[in-house]
Amino acid sequence: MLLLVAKGNRFMRDKPSDLVQGTLDMLILKTLALEPIHGYGISVRIDQMSKGVFRLNAGSLFLAIQRLERDGLIDGEWKPTENNRRARYYTLTAKGRKRLNNETREWGRQVTAIARILEAS
Amino acid sequence: MSLLRNITSGLRSLFRKEQANRELDEELGEYLEMAADEKMKQGMNRKEALRAVRLERGSLEITKEVVRSGGWESLVDTLWRDLLFAARLLRKTPGFTLVAILTLALGIGANSAIFSVVNAMLLRPLPYPEPDRLVRIWEASLKDSDMRNVVGPLNFMDWRDRSRSFEAMAAMSGGDTNLNIDGRPVALPALTASPEFFSVLGVPPLLGRTFVPEDGLSGRENEVILSYQLWRSQFGADPSIIGKKTLVNDIPHTIIGVMPESFSFPKLKSQFWIPMVLERDDKAARGRWLTVVARLKPGVSLSQARQDIASVAKYTAQVRPDFNYNWTANVFPMLEDATLNVRRPLWVLLAAVGFLLLIACANVANLLLMRGTSRYRELAVRTALGATRSRVVQQLLVESLLLFLVGMSVGLFVANFGLHALLALIPQDAPLPRSEPVTIDARVFLFTLLATLFTAIAFGLVPALRLSRIDPQEALSQGSPRSGVGSGAQLLLRRSFVVAEVALALLLSLGAALMLRSFTRLIAVDPGFSSEHLVTMHIWTSPSHYSDKLKRSQYFQHILTEIRRTPGVESASSIHFLPLEGSMSGSCFASLDQPPPETAGSPDARFLIIGSDYFKTMGTPIVAGREFEDRDHLETPALAIVNRAFVRKFSPNQNVIGRQLNVCWTVNNPVQVIGVVTDARQLELQDTPEPTIFLSNAQTPMYFASLVVRAQGDPRQLMRAAEAAIHRVDPDQAVSQVRTMDSVLSDSVSSPRFQMTLLLVFASIALALAMIGVYGVVSHSVSQRTQEIGVRVALGARSLDVARMVLQEALILSTVAVALGLGGAFALTRLMQTLLFEVSPTDPAILFATSAVVLVVATASAIFPASRAMRVDPMVALRYE
Repeated sequence: MLLLVAKGNRFMRDKPSDLVQGTLDMLILKTLALEPIHGYGISVRIDQMSKGVFRLNAGSLFLAIQRLERDGLIDGEWKPTENNRRARYYTLTAKGRKRLNNETREWGRQVTAIARILEAS
Repeated sequence: MSLLRNITSGLRSLFRKEQANRELDEELGEYLEMAADEKMKQGMNRKEALRAVRLERGSLEITKEVVRSGGWESLVDTLWRDLLFAARLLRKTPGFTLVAILTLALGIGANSAIFSVVNAMLLRPLPYPEPDRLVRIWEASLKDSDMRNVVGPLNFMDWRDRSRSFEAMAAMSGGDTNLNIDGRPVALPALTASPEFFSVLGVPPLLGRTFVPEDGLSGRENEVILSYQLWRSQFGADPSIIGKKTLVNDIPHTIIGVMPESFSFPKLKSQFWIPMVLERDDKAARGRWLTVVARLKPGVSLSQARQDIASVAKYTAQVRPDFNYNWTANVFPMLEDATLNVRRPLWVLLAAVGFLLLIACANVANLLLMRGTSRYRELAVRTALGATRSRVVQQLLVESLLLFLVGMSVGLFVANFGLHALLALIPQDAPLPRSEPVTIDARVFLFTLLATLFTAIAFGLVPALRLSRIDPQEALSQGSPRSGVGSGAQLLLRRSFVVAEVALALLLSLGAALMLRSFTRLIAVDPGFSSEHLVTMHIWTSPSHYSDKLKRSQYFQHILTEIRRTPGVESASSIHFLPLEGSMSGSCFASLDQPPPETAGSPDARFLIIGSDYFKTMGTPIVAGREFEDRDHLETPALAIVNRAFVRKFSPNQNVIGRQLNVCWTVNNPVQVIGVVTDARQLELQDTPEPTIFLSNAQTPMYFASLVVRAQGDPRQLMRAAEAAIHRVDPDQAVSQVRTMDSVLSDSVSSPRFQMTLLLVFASIALALAMIGVYGVVSHSVSQRTQEIGVRVALGARSLDVARMVLQEALILSTVAVALGLGGAFALTRLMQTLLFEVSPTDPAILFATSAVVLVVATASAIFPASRAMRVDPMVALRYE
């Protein structure tokens, strides 16, 4: 399995800015914390919120969605869109919310710590 | 929860691939549409918008591939496809596949077969409840090294009554006993056992009951418990048999129980059981003849039990010093005791067969490497098309795994067949340590599977790692794969495999050669008698008919007279324990000028009770004096004969004829020595001759004897006639174990013969595989060097030079292998020491001869490739490039 994930990684290279490993999951969870939304919506929102720093490649996005769904952090459901088509909308589960809170806290701790180290020099 | 979700989701996309794909298509399609809509709102036309999205977010097709391969199920999917591909490839190269599978089947099958025996004999727990608590208790004389001496009845009773570590303890004694079948007594193996016997083992009866303590009281003992086999064969499996009577030794016994079919006791075969009456009387005070088994109390350790028994043994030495001085007692786990003599040989055989598997695997690994060379292009193309190295390794591994698993399946058939052949090598009556059937059970299967998986991965990974190291650019730009995979490191790898193979084959051959030498030494041993023309049979007289000494003495005399009168009989006699069957009696003696002999202080000798003309019948030369004759009987003075070992030890340089001895045996003491005979082997051929005193069966008649009859011609033709002669004296006398002495001799070496045969078979297979290995490597290197050889020939090399060049390669490989193998032999053959008879594990002649054979055989495997090299036509070889 590892080798196949590695293979997937090759297609993430050409993003405007590489995400720190593991942070993509956190960003997706954060996006879904506001309201249930479909795949495209997630990438648009991450574009907007990061002011275009993180431009998500479809491969990485849907791979992460599949992983999160299988881990039970988000739930997917087919729903009609505004244009009267069908899209899969994702909702944060209770477990996902817990994970998001934990990761946000942990992230905050790390960022503060790293900043402290960088300022010290 | 999420694991479950992960699995169900994965399974869904695996088994409902269509639907999962459709949903993914739809979701991604929608994504594309939305993104394109966004672009179109900014004024692009649809075509431009789609292109912009693809640039920005990546191609949709690739995204699909990424998402699909993101879950674990895609691994299963690729594995499955690899498996199908591997199967197709193997079908396309039937020659390679067949050779590889047969090699593996042989290696794996041999392992499963030997492991089945190891499993049945050593690993399976004994077939009783909580078998770990079962122990055997023996007496041990501090005078010699035998840790397991049978037990004196009084000592047993003291152990039973005074020890605190045991839940129950039982004594038993085995032997042929007469049971009345169809109106006639038939001698059958039976156990006389103290009443605790069945409760120690914890096995309930199939019908009726087992013994209760009262059955061990005098007057209550006329009861019998039948084995399932006896109940079926002689009593028609009568369900209402309990309470009926049958004659045991001509005395009516009540049948109180039938044991289940699976019930048995290690090494002591028995068809029925009768209670043993043990009382603290004169009879119990003499001799050691009981086998003792006991069950530890729960939670009591072996060392506690040992201390306990040792302290009781100290007590018995204090109260009966004349009998127990210098004696102690030992406790051993029952399984260890039962498998004592087979453990080392079985592990050696398993190790040997393990080496065989390694050789087989090395051969297959080389085949895989060799085939990999011809698949070099395919692998290069795959790599060029984007397969990662790990992906290629995975595919190659799946292939070897498939090969090994098919090899295993065929191997299990080989094992089943081999096991039958193997068990056929064991004589019918051999006292196997375990009587449970040897089968390929779940544990054997698991062992086989694990061995297969382990070797498949170990031996599949090496070629896979090697072959996957590909530079596609170099590989595809060159016309031939020669300079790529076939060179350098890979050649070294394949040569190492072959060297290892030949080295292991040498180890196995050495093991086999040592066993062969040991066996030939063993069967060359002069047993001290000549077994040709001898037939032997066992008789056991009914104590109720022949309790009178005189009557018994006369009865044996009548039987011998009647047999001697039979046409074709040259002579006939008897002995109480037939040679080479592992039995003998020991007792004490003293010269007339010394105090009366007693067990503790006096010298010991072996005692054998023989009939008149015994040495003449056996063909054992008499050195001095005479042997017992018909004129020596109960009323004449008691006589004795001693052997040379006795003279050597107790009265060297003296004339022993005419000397008087007091012996600890029921005979009219003193006895007068009338003859000296040459030494004969008693327990087994490996036996060293011990001082022995022979007494006359006419003067101290036993209840049982093995008759020995020397025929003028074929002894087999006398079997019927001799039996008929016995029945003319007493039609009710049971006769058993009618055999030629030759077959007794041959059965006595059955276990070294078994080990030797197997090792020889394994070594031959190993050598054959190693030959194939050398052949493969050399032959491949010849085909790779065709051009070089062509150039050499063109420049004037003679064909003999070419052949020498090729043979040299094989010779160098074999020499390195033989050196390595010899190193291993010094470390490993020592473990065989106890299996060998008068052969040192590092016997220089054997080491030298075997190494030479292996060297020649391995080098000779290069003859075919060499002759092919000799025929290389320089024109063709050079044009080919």
